[in-house]
Amino acid sequence: MDTFAIFRVSASALDAQRSRMNTIASNMANIHSTQTENGGPYRRKDVVFTTVPIDSETHSALEGVKVVQVIDSQEPFKKIYDPGHPDADKDGFVLLPNVNVMEEMVNMMMAVRAYEANVTTFNLSKSMFLKALEIGR
Amino acid sequence: MDKGIQRLEEMIRVSAFRHKVLASNIANVDTPGYKAKDVPFRDEMKNRAIEIAKTNPQHLRENRNPREAGGTVAVERSPWGDGNNVALDVELANMTENALLYEAGIKLLSKKFLMYKNAIKGR
Repeated sequence: MDTFAIFRVSASALDAQRSRMNTIASNMANIHSTQTENGGPYRRKDVVFTTVPIDSETHSALEGVKVVQVIDSQEPFKKIYDPGHPDADKDGFVLLPNVNVMEEMVNMMMAVRAYEANVTTFNLSKSMFLKALEIGR
Repeated sequence: MDKGIQRLEEMIRVSAFRHKVLASNIANVDTPGYKAKDVPFRDEMKNRAIEIAKTNPQHLRENRNPREAGGTVAVERSPWGDGNNVALDVELANMTENALLYEAGIKLLSKKFLMYKNAIKGR
């Protein structure tokens, strides 16, 4: 059994949650981007997590997490009337990204809490190891 | 030698294993379809107590290595919308409790060694 595998579990989760935060930041930053490289307005991005076995010897008791893919939201774009906008269609409507600030904020709070929980786990593991070094002192 | 030392060793071993399982649950708090796992501490200790009490390793032999980390059980809890049933607060509470148990095991083991030390020195 790998003694330090537990730290890799927490680290994988911290990494995954940070990726999620990056995605949310990107969504927030592009809330009004009407043009993208692929054409059309910016599509909201979301991460998909999957479990990843950390230490095969422990019969998959140890499972880390990783971002398996980043998906583009297929929700419809917001449509506003703004004839002066350079990206307006012939009727004067502009398509805005399908980013919802409320949704992003909730996601962000969840990511932060999950990140904190994993930091707590990491610190607890660390203090347990240090305690183990005191056996017989 | 002293069975107490072995018992404490097993207690530390089981709680260290449970800590890993709980850490995996917390890591996967947002993984769709992930099912929380746990280690039944009492059952696990009971099994190990039997192993320790044996006068011959062939007695009551099971098909698993007693030194090996024990089994995990799935937690019965209704899942969230994405099929994941990890409850972050419960997992953290379990983990804190388990860490205290681990620490208690280590403290007791240290005291046990101290007792022997005192006995040897005759104080």
